[in-house]
Amino acid sequence: MDLIVIALILAGLYMAWNIGANDLANAMGTSVGTGALSIKQVIIIAAVFEFLGAVLFGQRVTETIANGIVPIGIIGTIHPDIVAVGMLAAILAAGFWVTLTTFYNLPVSTSHSIVGSVLGFGLIAAYNGTISYSDIHWGELTRIVASWFISPVLGAVFAYLTFSVIRKLYLHRAIDLPLVENKFISLQLITACYIAFAHGSNDVANAIGPLCAALNVMGVTGTGIPIWVLVMGGLGMVVGMATWGYKVVMTIGSKITQLTPTRGFSAQFATASVVILHSYSSLPISTTHTLVGSVIGVGLAGGIAAVDLRVVWRIISSWIATVPIAALTSALIYVGLKVIFL
Amino acid sequence: MKDYIRSVFDVVAESPFGPLEEHAKKGVLAVEKLSEAMDAYCAGNQALLEERTDEIDKLEHDADMLKQKIRASIPSSVKLQVDKKDLLSFLKQQDSIADFAQAAAYWMNLRPCKTLPMEVKEGFLELMAASLKVTRKYNELAGEIYNLLATSFSKEEIKETMSIIPEVEKLEHDVDVLETALLKKIFENEEVIGGAGVCHLIGLIERVGGIADKSASAADRLRTMILRR
Repeated sequence: MDLIVIALILAGLYMAWNIGANDLANAMGTSVGTGALSIKQVIIIAAVFEFLGAVLFGQRVTETIANGIVPIGIIGTIHPDIVAVGMLAAILAAGFWVTLTTFYNLPVSTSHSIVGSVLGFGLIAAYNGTISYSDIHWGELTRIVASWFISPVLGAVFAYLTFSVIRKLYLHRAIDLPLVENKFISLQLITACYIAFAHGSNDVANAIGPLCAALNVMGVTGTGIPIWVLVMGGLGMVVGMATWGYKVVMTIGSKITQLTPTRGFSAQFATASVVILHSYSSLPISTTHTLVGSVIGVGLAGGIAAVDLRVVWRIISSWIATVPIAALTSALIYVGLKVIFL
Repeated sequence: MKDYIRSVFDVVAESPFGPLEEHAKKGVLAVEKLSEAMDAYCAGNQALLEERTDEIDKLEHDADMLKQKIRASIPSSVKLQVDKKDLLSFLKQQDSIADFAQAAAYWMNLRPCKTLPMEVKEGFLELMAASLKVTRKYNELAGEIYNLLATSFSKEEIKETMSIIPEVEKLEHDVDVLETALLKKIFENEEVIGGAGVCHLIGLIERVGGIADKSASAADRLRTMILRR
């Protein structure tokens, strides 16, 4: 039994590391690309606010991943072992898919992967007769999937409005344009903190949601989301950022030099607001996809010289692939692990 | 090295407007060199003329490379702040500036000017200077594109840009006047220059004047591009 707890924690940490190394770095890349912050500043801000976001505001989404999709509590009261193995399978499946898609540079979201893999466990549990198919919270799942469509659109709308206001109030009245852009550098310092906090609050769940579910039913922790697990998730993401993510930040920063501070501010402000709104609504969404929506929004408002919409199709196809693949892998890994642990 | 990264920042595509400005600079540089080539031609310095021709050749080639880069950077999935067709037709005109500079340089190399009367030589230097002036003004205009985008097409910036276009057109008209005056001088001296010489010089006038024409029509297309956006 202890072996599985250790395995769960390690898998959760790997997932947290992954999120910090890639997703957090994506969210922070805009700050470096506009030249607002140095890489060192970005890492410090990301570390502090990602951690705070995870610990202070990470419970809601974590609760959704842990209990909102599959009735873990119901399975857990009878078969805590099944839950433990199932959640380990879910983290491993999501971690595997995320690693694979990172290798092939596909814009897959960790949130989508973990939702898919937790669902995969639910489906195999239902297939095995542990629960019935109708026990799976389809309504909640529908709400989550809908939010994946809504969040980028909302990001686009927010960013469009934000940039339109900046355009009207500052850019079109600018006597000294570089001065205006310079002022937004200090504002980007704030949005960098904001986006890191928002990201932490939403994405920590992807690493520790299944872990919490398992620990709860195994009686390792009480009910609810224990603070030390949130702390662990937060730390894992910070380490991911510091050991690998800085490279990703620099790569992205060097690719989006077209964004000026006014544009970067608009996109980050919109993204962080949308993400935090979803954290409040307990919905796991992709920060990166929301950021793409926001960038397109700034583009539509006339802020970006050239916007390539090909990426939209890549994102949509990654959605369509991720949920079934993560679900299937999770179910298969579960079947394999069951032989070892049960 | 391959980047192990899941990112979507290729949503911010490379802007064609940076290379566009660079392309304009290549054009004006080619015309600057042509002006020096014209000096060399009138002074009978064949070696310097050939040297400048090579330099113009290279600039024209650079401009072509940039033109291809710009065209390649706007596939159908890329959305711009301006109409792509307008952008391309503007680019085509701008590209002709370097083409005409190259054609004029080649044309000079065809036949040395041995028997040119002083007033015709002076006429050519004057025409060249006037054409260069149009191109320089045009380059100033092309430099405004950056500010247009940076302010996201503010009214002030559009007004400023639009105010340069008539200046280009005015300077182009000056070139037209000089062309006619020079043609007249050539025919007045047709006995001295000879039939083949007249024929050659008319070709040169067309090419040097063409630079100004193309600068003006590029300016005109730029106006269309901004107004139709």
